[in-house]
Amino acid sequence: MKIVSSMILYLVLILGALLFVFPVVLIFITAFKPDGEIVHFYSILPKEWTFENFREIFASPEEIPIFRWFANSLLISTMVTLLILTVHSLAAYGLARLDLPGKKWVFSMIIATLMIPGQIFLVPVYLILNKLGWLDTPLALIIPAGAGAFGVFLLRQFFLGIPRDLEDAANIDGCTRLGTYFHIILPLSKPALATLGIFTFLGSWNDFMGPLVFLDSVDKYTLPVGIALFQTSYYAEYGLTLAACVVCTLPVVIVFLLFQRHIIKGISLTGLKD
Amino acid sequence: MNKKSILYRYSGYLFLAPYLLLFCVFLVAPLCYGLGLSFFEWEMISPFPPRFNGLENYQEALKDQYFWKALWATARFVIMIVPTVICGALLVATLINALPLKRQAIFRASFFFPTLISISVAGILWRWFFNTEFGLFNAVLANFSMKVPWLSDIRWAMKSIAFMTFWWTLGGPMVVLLAGLNQIPDHYYEAAAIDGANAVQRFIHITIPLLRPVLLFVSVMSIIGSFQVFGQTFMITRGGPEFSTRVLVQYIYETAFSFYRMGYGAAMSWLLFLVIAVFSIVQFRIMRER
Repeated sequence: MKIVSSMILYLVLILGALLFVFPVVLIFITAFKPDGEIVHFYSILPKEWTFENFREIFASPEEIPIFRWFANSLLISTMVTLLILTVHSLAAYGLARLDLPGKKWVFSMIIATLMIPGQIFLVPVYLILNKLGWLDTPLALIIPAGAGAFGVFLLRQFFLGIPRDLEDAANIDGCTRLGTYFHIILPLSKPALATLGIFTFLGSWNDFMGPLVFLDSVDKYTLPVGIALFQTSYYAEYGLTLAACVVCTLPVVIVFLLFQRHIIKGISLTGLKD
Repeated sequence: MNKKSILYRYSGYLFLAPYLLLFCVFLVAPLCYGLGLSFFEWEMISPFPPRFNGLENYQEALKDQYFWKALWATARFVIMIVPTVICGALLVATLINALPLKRQAIFRASFFFPTLISISVAGILWRWFFNTEFGLFNAVLANFSMKVPWLSDIRWAMKSIAFMTFWWTLGGPMVVLLAGLNQIPDHYYEAAAIDGANAVQRFIHITIPLLRPVLLFVSVMSIIGSFQVFGQTFMITRGGPEFSTRVLVQYIYETAFSFYRMGYGAAMSWLLFLVIAVFSIVQFRIMRER
């Protein structure tokens, strides 16, 4: 009886897991089909594998600047990640460890913004970026991203859990606050920094609304927005569109396979700590 | 306390300075600016400067049939997606939690995987699945001589969007709930089993009460997120057919960035914020009191 119910459990879960993964796998398979086979679906695997779709999106950089979009995405995501790791870890260190007057008050104000729905910032941030002259530049997507409170919250939580003894010893040896941050806190926080970094990178890579609203010229686009453009310009050419989707999705899949544990941990932490 | 040590204490704020600068310029300032803007008539492309018009933007929204249509489309989406995603995530998390700990990772990763796909990629993929003439779903249904107008019929469009969203967003709450389930000590269940409680009774009397804080968190996050739905409808249906899937954020997006009516856009943003706040608070009340 126990074996039967356990087998049913595995069967249900395996079936469910396959259904969830299958659509993504389908992108990768279908990108190797000629258009005719995509439109007239008769088998999951292509009858004849073709690289034509990929050759075509890479071959016409004037019409489809996919390398440019890739470079833009990579630049923006990397810069956002570096900005958040630096600025948020400094702030989190101050909030977790330093004896600042009014610290509690500042922290509650920062945390309160976590619950504010993002859509409220859309119009005013657009206008502020317009005033700064940053619209249609990568800066529009990099700098405002550093204002979110999630990283500060996550890192502060982690820093609070680091034993104080090491810092006390460092202080007696004459280490400054900045020295303690660099030589003690940061090296001990690698797991938390990695989690936040991967998380931030993926979020920025996949961001759709930001680039859609803040960017104008096609050669400034990031991959997700560039691909969305396909839908209007190359509407009937599913093969090309799916090949572009593979270019956008492959880095995410690789990062996920490499750092799965960090990503899952980051998600879990958001709901459990108070 | 001497002067030097007070100075020293305040100088610690230098660590916070870079963040607080970003926080003020791109979080606090936009919040105030947006609220102020909502009391102004301002068409960005017109030569006229912004003009204070009090509550007129808000009054206009309440009379605007497209605002109500968009709010109704959003509400339908929220009603479809929040209960199904939370219940689905709880179900999947419970099933996975019944496995030995070392076997859980692969299933957790599989169900979580779709959340990592950019909405433009996911949108293109599902638009193809849903296509009436040569989409995957109708190709399969053709074997049973059925044909469903997934995206072109008012009765189907929002359901199709919700169906896709279920797949796309189940992973996040599922991982959080599973982490919560992992934290419940086994001996609670063992003790209840000895007392003769069956699996369903154990789920209702042990799992649900102990999981309540986590459940509250994921449902509030799901409510906040779902009211702001945009990418799915923008990519898959563009708001059609007949505005049946044009949600509020898309209407705000079009008002502000296609018609450049910044004041009216900001006012509708604040109305949506109000709606989200009310529903989040109600959810808090309901789940805390019981």
